[in-house]
Amino acid sequence: MRDLREGLPESRGGDEIKSVWFVLLCCRAEVITGLSEEIAMKEFMTGNHAVAHAVVLCRTPLIAAYPITPQTAIYEKLSEWEASGILKGIMMRTESEHSAMASCIAASLTGVRTFTATSSQGLALMHEMLHFAAGCRTPVVMANVNRLLAAPWGFWADQLDSLSQRDTGWIQFYCENGQEALDSVIQAYKIAEQVYLPAMVSLEAFFVSHFMEPVDVPEQEEVDRFLPAIHLPHKFDIEKPGFLVPVVSSELYRKYRHMAQTSMDSVKEVALRADLEFKEIFGRGYGIVETVMMDDAEVVIVTAGSITSTARVAVKILREKGYRVGLLKIRLFRPFPAEALQKALGGKRKIAVIDRNNSMGSGGIFCQELRAALVHSPDRPVTFSYIAGIGGTDVTPEVIQKIVFDAMGRDEPEEKPIWVMEE
Amino acid sequence: MASSVQELNLLRPGHAACAGCGLAIGMKLVLEVMGPRTVAVIVPSCEGAIGGVYPNTSYGVPTFHSAFEIAAPTAAGIANGLKIQGRDDIQVLAFAGDGGTFDIGLQSLSGVAKNNDDILYVCLDNEAYMNTGIQVSSATPSYAWTNTTPEGNPRRKKNIMEIMAAHYNPYSATATIGYPRDLQQKITKAKGIRGTKFIHLLVPCPTGWRTPSDISPELSILAVETNVFPLYEVEEGRKYTINHEPRRLPVQAYLLKQGRFKHLGEEQIRQVQRDVDEEWEKLKHRASLQG
Amino acid sequence: MNIPTDSLCELVIPISYGSTAVIETGKWGFQKPDTNLLTAPCQEACPAGINIPEVLYFISEGRKDEALFSMLMENPFPGACGRACFHPCEANCIRAQYDESVSIQALEKYVSDRASVQIEKIQPIANESAKRIAVVGGGPSGLSCAYFLSLLGHRVTIFEAKREPGGVLRWGVPEYRLPKSILRKEIRRILSLPIEMKTGVRVGRDIPFEDLDHFDAIFLSPGAGLNPSLGIEGEGLKKVWKGGEFLERINSKEKVILGKETLVVGGGNTAIDVARSALRLGSQVTLAYRRTRNEMPAIRDEIHEAEEEGVRFEFLVQPVKIHPGKKKRLAVKFQRMKLGGPDATGRSRALPVKGEFLTLETDGLITAVGERVELAWVPKPFVKNDLIGLNPSPRVFAGGDAVDQPRTIVTAIAAGKKAAISMDLSLRGNSDKALLSRIRAGKKGSLSMASYLSMREGEKWLEPKGVATYQQMNPIYFKASHRVKIRKRSRAKSLKKFSEVNMGLRPEEARLSAQRCFSCGTCNYCYNCYFFCPEGAVSLDPFLKTRTVDFDHCKGCGTCAKACPRAVVEMR
Repeated sequence: MRDLREGLPESRGGDEIKSVWFVLLCCRAEVITGLSEEIAMKEFMTGNHAVAHAVVLCRTPLIAAYPITPQTAIYEKLSEWEASGILKGIMMRTESEHSAMASCIAASLTGVRTFTATSSQGLALMHEMLHFAAGCRTPVVMANVNRLLAAPWGFWADQLDSLSQRDTGWIQFYCENGQEALDSVIQAYKIAEQVYLPAMVSLEAFFVSHFMEPVDVPEQEEVDRFLPAIHLPHKFDIEKPGFLVPVVSSELYRKYRHMAQTSMDSVKEVALRADLEFKEIFGRGYGIVETVMMDDAEVVIVTAGSITSTARVAVKILREKGYRVGLLKIRLFRPFPAEALQKALGGKRKIAVIDRNNSMGSGGIFCQELRAALVHSPDRPVTFSYIAGIGGTDVTPEVIQKIVFDAMGRDEPEEKPIWVMEE
Repeated sequence: MASSVQELNLLRPGHAACAGCGLAIGMKLVLEVMGPRTVAVIVPSCEGAIGGVYPNTSYGVPTFHSAFEIAAPTAAGIANGLKIQGRDDIQVLAFAGDGGTFDIGLQSLSGVAKNNDDILYVCLDNEAYMNTGIQVSSATPSYAWTNTTPEGNPRRKKNIMEIMAAHYNPYSATATIGYPRDLQQKITKAKGIRGTKFIHLLVPCPTGWRTPSDISPELSILAVETNVFPLYEVEEGRKYTINHEPRRLPVQAYLLKQGRFKHLGEEQIRQVQRDVDEEWEKLKHRASLQG
Repeated sequence: MNIPTDSLCELVIPISYGSTAVIETGKWGFQKPDTNLLTAPCQEACPAGINIPEVLYFISEGRKDEALFSMLMENPFPGACGRACFHPCEANCIRAQYDESVSIQALEKYVSDRASVQIEKIQPIANESAKRIAVVGGGPSGLSCAYFLSLLGHRVTIFEAKREPGGVLRWGVPEYRLPKSILRKEIRRILSLPIEMKTGVRVGRDIPFEDLDHFDAIFLSPGAGLNPSLGIEGEGLKKVWKGGEFLERINSKEKVILGKETLVVGGGNTAIDVARSALRLGSQVTLAYRRTRNEMPAIRDEIHEAEEEGVRFEFLVQPVKIHPGKKKRLAVKFQRMKLGGPDATGRSRALPVKGEFLTLETDGLITAVGERVELAWVPKPFVKNDLIGLNPSPRVFAGGDAVDQPRTIVTAIAAGKKAAISMDLSLRGNSDKALLSRIRAGKKGSLSMASYLSMREGEKWLEPKGVATYQQMNPIYFKASHRVKIRKRSRAKSLKKFSEVNMGLRPEEARLSAQRCFSCGTCNYCYNCYFFCPEGAVSLDPFLKTRTVDFDHCKGCGTCAKACPRAVVEMR
């Protein structure tokens, strides 16, 4: 038997939270059946299919979903595998995303692993239930394909849909590519089921969801080794009937919210440990933030999602040209990895945050969060906010170079974010 | 008959329903037949008030207080979750009010009925948003007073049973507290059927109907005997069975006992009678089609 | 790390495991339900005071033995009364105001035939001050008195003049109405109690009245054995019989040969019994009565059945002369009558129509015009107006045909019961007449032995219950329905012999009939108060006969009282 405390994060929530994990770990059930060889192999595939693979590898028995472009391929693939028996479980074809989330929460409270996928309007429709999922402490995992919100209508990449849900109590990951989406779904279950909070894995419309890349689909046995069977302490028990989530007093509401917050705080460490363990088994890891060529960087580009890949190219070009430029990728957005960012960015002179989103009346959301995280750092850098790629517009290496040059040319930050528009 | 009644207190005393609450009577009668091997879903409504404030509850079976518009998919999620774990011995029961069924929850109920998820859905119809203080719903009958129809409801009550029948779900039935044995037989029957079962349960509300606290069962009976609320069941959306031959009392016998109808004029009463007669003929016709 | 799993759940989300039962919502209410039992009018109307709602409840639940036990508590002759009683219970049935009365008599017969209760269940109570009591006359009244006295622990001796006890039930009521096997069973049940039966002993002839002096109390219940004459010319002719004698001969299994046609005079039950018996002996029967059908004192159903069997009626005629007719036949001359104003009893008087006569020829004439009691042997101070006083001395009581009361079987039984209770009270040194009013079932004088036993035990003499009215019932809980039509033997079959005409109820018919009972004022565990309590605060136990309310949680909404179809629950 392994050390029961392995993977146990340093708790900030006191002994009671530790006990939860302790008992949980004690009660770990062994994983059950093998998975068909058919999907356990390397493939050239879209991000959506990579997500679908992850769901099956996690042996998720209950999926509830509703179709929306550009999420549909996940739903269709899982339906196909349900029909062929590769997916051992139930696909609930609900009449809306709202009901899909409702069903996931409810099923989760019976003690099974659940999954849904959506995008844009669908996620917005789920909003009420997102709060509910977190409040019920159900480790539902969801893939969200980042698509712009109407109106006007469009199908293109934009992170505003999921960022609008930042206050709902969900763990949020932003993925750069299909491989990371697959790996993040697996990690998301591992994390969510330790802290009893739901987790969302975001991948941008088309750039990730539909872009075909070689994806290393892990072996089932390895995933089974990484991800133990789910065990929730809070569920329906006919032997000892309880009324789940009743009306509570103000004080009790505050107590449970605070407990959830404590659990959410622990996610950063739980996620780091999970990522380390993942790396041990699968040879890949991502961290909760990733830094590229930061040591001597005068300007650090900060990105999340698929723009990171482009930025990697831009940084390489700029370095070749002699500019001291670095890159920081924010992978975990909720909880926001403030300490990791303070550590990574402390002492840097300038930061250029590129946001494929805009909070109307304020600005780029990653930038807001970053500024707030650094505000008490004694040697905080000057932060510039760039809005680029809104509505799926192209963010090329050239655009990123322009952003870097723009930042280099400024001494004081603008009050308003700078919108990057093509001529 | 009497000795077969199991005195299971699955709706415990001490709950916060108004005195004479028809909804509490309905829940009690339903839970009694469902028995302890049941997981129940309730939604924000009088059911929430009845459920009690932490740490006490009136529900004697595991119960989940879900959101307003999703009684059905919540129950379906639980049913499927239990099914995955092989717990076929546990039934899942969804309680929602008329607002949660006829209005805000109609879409999600439709979705579940379409999938034929294995749940028993009981709509506790007290004919308006009572928990929020008596506002009109699409289950409010013609001319009824509510706080949002101070001059009387201008529209007729939605025919939820026909909507359900249009889903071809295995079993739908009307029932009301005044006929407890009929209600309990229907619950028993529904328990034996796999798929989405729907019970439209009329529950008089002394507070919202502006009636004394002691006549809820009587009003319930009058609703049936005047044909305002016939007792019948629909199987697979096709087979209609009328369960009770009504005495066909004039609608006044029902309407005039209630403060919410006290302003009705003669022509309005005649109109209600015409509507009731027309619906009854339609129902009889449907029932006659399958012999 | 000893954290129980429950607390672990609650570290994640709030889960209520406690019960709202700790919240005393009963404090909301300002009124509470109370049980308010009432006497049903059927029980009030039954001279024997049978708790009919209770009996019918037991039948509807299939608890036949308990039904019989309940009847035997008040009446030792359910088999006889289920057949030969004039059933005032049905005439007073509240359900008649809603649709049709409940078939109480048929159910009484059903239970007495089908139940299997053993006499062991009916045991005398322990009585340390047991007395010796003489009963003169072994008819329904005397047997009833002896039965109840015996139940109360006294030692009884019955003096019966005839060779067998039973009185009118034995010698009067014909076999087709009351099979003798049924009667024998009931008398056997009575006599299995510690009762000494001396048959063939006529007090005043075989032993002097003074011989009874050594008894602590005496009950006088001589039957009406004297057949009066019509007082008209020709009564002494051959083939003119008296009804009582005629029936006694048949009931003694003597061979009686009637001619082709028989004329019966009278309008009471004896006349009908005679007429129908005559039919069974192969005669064609015409019944002559001086008033009309409406005034006939006989039981309605009996008149109807007689007519169905073929008895012809000649109304508004009174015989004035009998003379021999042709071919050894009789010619009976009748005065035509008409109806006049009501007499003292409310019945229309029969007045002669001057000069109008009718003569009928017949092979035989049987008169059945009311019997009288022979009282020569009774000490003079006890007799007034040719009848014995009901309570002529502190130790002498009387009942049956010898006292001033309607001459029916059930009133005779009731008088026996009343005398038994009065004697018991008196022998216990309790002469308070007011106590009898405490054990009344209703206001018409019927006494409840069940009440007497329960009150006697604790010496708690409570006020009797009120009587239920139709207005107190909640008819919304009843579905209109018809009485079950009772199966009868076909005319051809029943006329061939004296077998019982009324074939009785089948079990399912009995259940349905019993379920029709409103159970006025008596809880029959319909469960409405249980079903309709929003608080789940009412508990019922039909076997322990308890109905309890959890007042900590009863909000006093009043639903249980309003939903009680039979006015048992009342808000206070």
